[in-house]
Amino acid sequence: MVTQEEITRVSKLMKIEIDDHREYVDKVKKMIGYFDVLDSAGVESEEISMPEIQISSLREDKHIPFSDKLIEKINHYKGTYIHAPKMSS
Amino acid sequence: MNLKISALEYVQEVKNGNISSEDFMAKTLERISDVDDKLHAFLSVNEDAVDQAHEIDKKIKSGVKVGSCFGMPISIKDNICIKNSKTTCASKMLENFIAPYDATAITKLKEQDAIFVGKVNLDEFAMGLTTEFSAFGPSKNPWNIEYVPGGSSGGSAVSVSAFECIASLGSDTGGSVRNPGSFCSTVGYKPTYGLISRYGLISYANSIEQIGPLTRTVKDTAFILNIISGLDENDNTTIDNKNTNYLSDIDVGIEGKKIGIIKEMIGDGIDPSVLSATKDAISKLESLGATCEEVSLNMVKYSVAAYYTITATEAGSNLARYDNIRYGYDFPVEGYEFNSYISKARRNFGPEVKRRMMIGGFVPSAGHAGKYFLKAMKVKSKLTKEINEAFKKFDLLISPTVPILPFKIGEKIDDPVSLFLVDINTVTANLTGKPAISIPFAITNGLPVGIQLMADSMNDKLLLQAAYALENTVTLPEVPI
Amino acid sequence: MTKIGLEIHCQLTNLKSKLFCSCKANYREFQINENICPVCMGLPGSLPRLNQEAVKKATIIAMALNCKTPEKIAFFRKNYFYPDLPKNFQITQLNIYGDTSVGGAGEIMVGNKKIRITRIQLEEDPGRIIYEGSSSKNQITLVDYNRAGTPLVEIVTEPDFENPKQVRDFLNILSDFLENLGVSDPSLEGAMRADANVSIEGGNKVEIKNIGSFHDLEKAVHFEITRQESLHSREIPITQETRHWDDQRKITVSSRSKEEDHDYRYFLEGDIPWVSISPEIRNELKSKMPESISSKKERYVSKYQIPVQVADVLSSDKFYSDLFEESHTVENAKEIANIITTDLMGLVDTREKRKDSKFTATHLKDLADSIQSGRISRNSAKNALYEIVQTGKSLSQIISELDLGNVSNESELSHIIEEIISEEPQAVEQAKSNPKAINYLVGKVMQKTKGKADPALTLNLLKSRLISND
Repeated sequence: MVTQEEITRVSKLMKIEIDDHREYVDKVKKMIGYFDVLDSAGVESEEISMPEIQISSLREDKHIPFSDKLIEKINHYKGTYIHAPKMSS
Repeated sequence: MNLKISALEYVQEVKNGNISSEDFMAKTLERISDVDDKLHAFLSVNEDAVDQAHEIDKKIKSGVKVGSCFGMPISIKDNICIKNSKTTCASKMLENFIAPYDATAITKLKEQDAIFVGKVNLDEFAMGLTTEFSAFGPSKNPWNIEYVPGGSSGGSAVSVSAFECIASLGSDTGGSVRNPGSFCSTVGYKPTYGLISRYGLISYANSIEQIGPLTRTVKDTAFILNIISGLDENDNTTIDNKNTNYLSDIDVGIEGKKIGIIKEMIGDGIDPSVLSATKDAISKLESLGATCEEVSLNMVKYSVAAYYTITATEAGSNLARYDNIRYGYDFPVEGYEFNSYISKARRNFGPEVKRRMMIGGFVPSAGHAGKYFLKAMKVKSKLTKEINEAFKKFDLLISPTVPILPFKIGEKIDDPVSLFLVDINTVTANLTGKPAISIPFAITNGLPVGIQLMADSMNDKLLLQAAYALENTVTLPEVPI
Repeated sequence: MTKIGLEIHCQLTNLKSKLFCSCKANYREFQINENICPVCMGLPGSLPRLNQEAVKKATIIAMALNCKTPEKIAFFRKNYFYPDLPKNFQITQLNIYGDTSVGGAGEIMVGNKKIRITRIQLEEDPGRIIYEGSSSKNQITLVDYNRAGTPLVEIVTEPDFENPKQVRDFLNILSDFLENLGVSDPSLEGAMRADANVSIEGGNKVEIKNIGSFHDLEKAVHFEITRQESLHSREIPITQETRHWDDQRKITVSSRSKEEDHDYRYFLEGDIPWVSISPEIRNELKSKMPESISSKKERYVSKYQIPVQVADVLSSDKFYSDLFEESHTVENAKEIANIITTDLMGLVDTREKRKDSKFTATHLKDLADSIQSGRISRNSAKNALYEIVQTGKSLSQIISELDLGNVSNESELSHIIEEIISEEPQAVEQAKSNPKAINYLVGKVMQKTKGKADPALTLNLLKSRLISND
């Protein structure tokens, strides 16, 4: 069960503007509602597993500068700083 | 000039001097301009392709060593980075993003003198099953252009199937290479997780996705796999495949192999013609000396819910970086406050991506994680246990790739849950990290049906041998375009 | 009962590269946005590559703080939007699926007080932000990502501190401790930062963030305790919240109004497998660990009879203890310790001075030996020391250039004594009756020899000369 409040909270969290368009919200609720089927899977006691790597296989600690002047390729602006909007105070 | 040849045939022809790389490339570009208006596989075409092919011919003539691809035209799904090329992920957010580096798979193909003829269409950020969610319009199935080509690597499958290129690289998160492979009658391959480096693949669900080739023959897939697989220091999740040669002994056959038929993947909701094709495939495999028996993977019932929960969570995080601050489109920050700027900028996501972001914010959030995300992770663990058990008894597992035939464009776009379930046979391989392949097997009412085989982790070589054996039991009609 | 806990962030500045890429770990020498690559900028398609040495150094820190260290460690994503975070998530460590951060359940002594360490985690630093623009309309945020991805070790303590002074002492000890381990240079600007949490009388815990320096931390904690006590005395309940330190007004301010609901949606980082640190490797790390400060101090006192205060200074400063270790022998240890903690200290009391100093362990050994053998006087040694720090020339060179060598040749000395005796007839008379007055004559000899006369020899010669005069 997903409430309108939840939808509003999550849209703020994910920085996604949603129009309160019923159809849109309905689809999201339907999708999440489908996941209720997980409740009958009976997996409470399962452990979560992950692949492993040995510490000796990790990257060697070396300074290798990136080959290009990266900032020129990604900066919209001609300056050197990246510009971001002001923070609310 | 005949464009309807496999990669290996192409290499042979060029080596023998029967065709030149440049001529073939020119012919390929002609083909693209002939059919792509109808099919819309390509988002961008490499204008320099013919010149690059010319350089290959020069190399060949001068006796310099040439890479094993000999200038063959390969299309690349537009979520894989090629340096100095636009990489859009079929999204308005990245409409003008120029990648400043090559993906590892691209570097490896470049080293073998492959030529990238263009970037092909996908569902936006690889989220979808039909390419209908591309911000730049859907691709069409060459077998019937009113039908979807599958997705998310729809452009890849279309370009290979319609002879607009020799092979393609796609990406498979929940079936996104195998599904369009099946819908367009091409081979679609997802390797063991970690076999192919993901460096340069724009992440959607990084814990389960892989780059995968789409080709016209199984041998071609093995050929490409030889080039792009292997340990990569740029990707901590890659594994050592000990330089396995996937092409050698591919025709060794499947005598004595035990194949499990996954019960839950041929159950309710399966199209009768898909079921009969599957049964046909099984009997053909038996006639080749394999034994087939039913096996149950109980967690398959929950695999779709688990898959979408996990992928939405990861996608919600992987796509957080798209805030238009470091790269993106022209939208100056002056006058805006941080939160409202980002929300406005992210309006450029399409509706399906937005929906997944919402789900991805919800299911792992405090208060809901236990019910959704953690349960999904546990389903993933249990499914892995079940399939590992199955592989103790069986060498391979079989099912249809998709339980239904290709459907019309627009048919399922408004019913998200029904669309989810198209994935039911393919997500298991991603959730468990096992290699899986879709082999073109039948054409029913003009629409393709693919059969899926799976093998245990790191048994990609065996999988390709079985796929090759099955492929050779059928001769399929030619694509009508 | 006042309870204070700390969260200290320490950059592993001694590493060569960042935590997840090969850009430089110490970003301070670079121009804006020149120490970046696709990985630390979080460009589409980039993937993190974990730094082996960072894991080792973090493990060493955990071991040195007596923590338990698990066999496998894992990384998680902490998801939130902020301009200094290129991926809009931070890769960090948590313990939600068992113990998976580099260390936990440790402790360290601060004087007689035991401070418990809750956990140690390895994580990446964000970029740096400055704000520009005067009016609200044209304000923008400027971001420099040179620091993004720098390896951080976060040390979280239990709320075991009882007052601000303990906190300050702890931070000083921890600074020396980390420097001694060879993992970080805490004197670098921004290398160590800390947040605090404060509660009184069993009430709610208040977190204080945005503290710029250790000096400010002490002030902030002090302020917060006062604020809470004031509320408590008026029976106003203390809200559990996060406050930030306002350096202008020197107060803590509630962050509640600008604080959004922080739901970090933690989950495992799929791009980094769980890292297995075998018992063999952990034992190897442990055995290679530098000697602890307290162990050094003990050794200096018991083995070389160095006075406790001197041993304290020597052991807690890595620069000094390194010099000591390299230069000392059993015979000259005390002298070396003395030179370092008296004469050398003033010449190398800042980072810049230490960087520029040309003084080496060889110099130190020569100095100590020369003093002990009487080749030069202590006074001359002081002058020589200054010269060596500036120029790095050998002691022998400086002794001859500045003519610092002790006059210990008896005949030469006797000659000078004769001169003084003839110059100071009154003092000579006084010295015959008053033994203390002889020091005046010794002083005159020292003056004439520019301090190079061997004082003991001078005294003896003078004494015997005066006697023989009778």
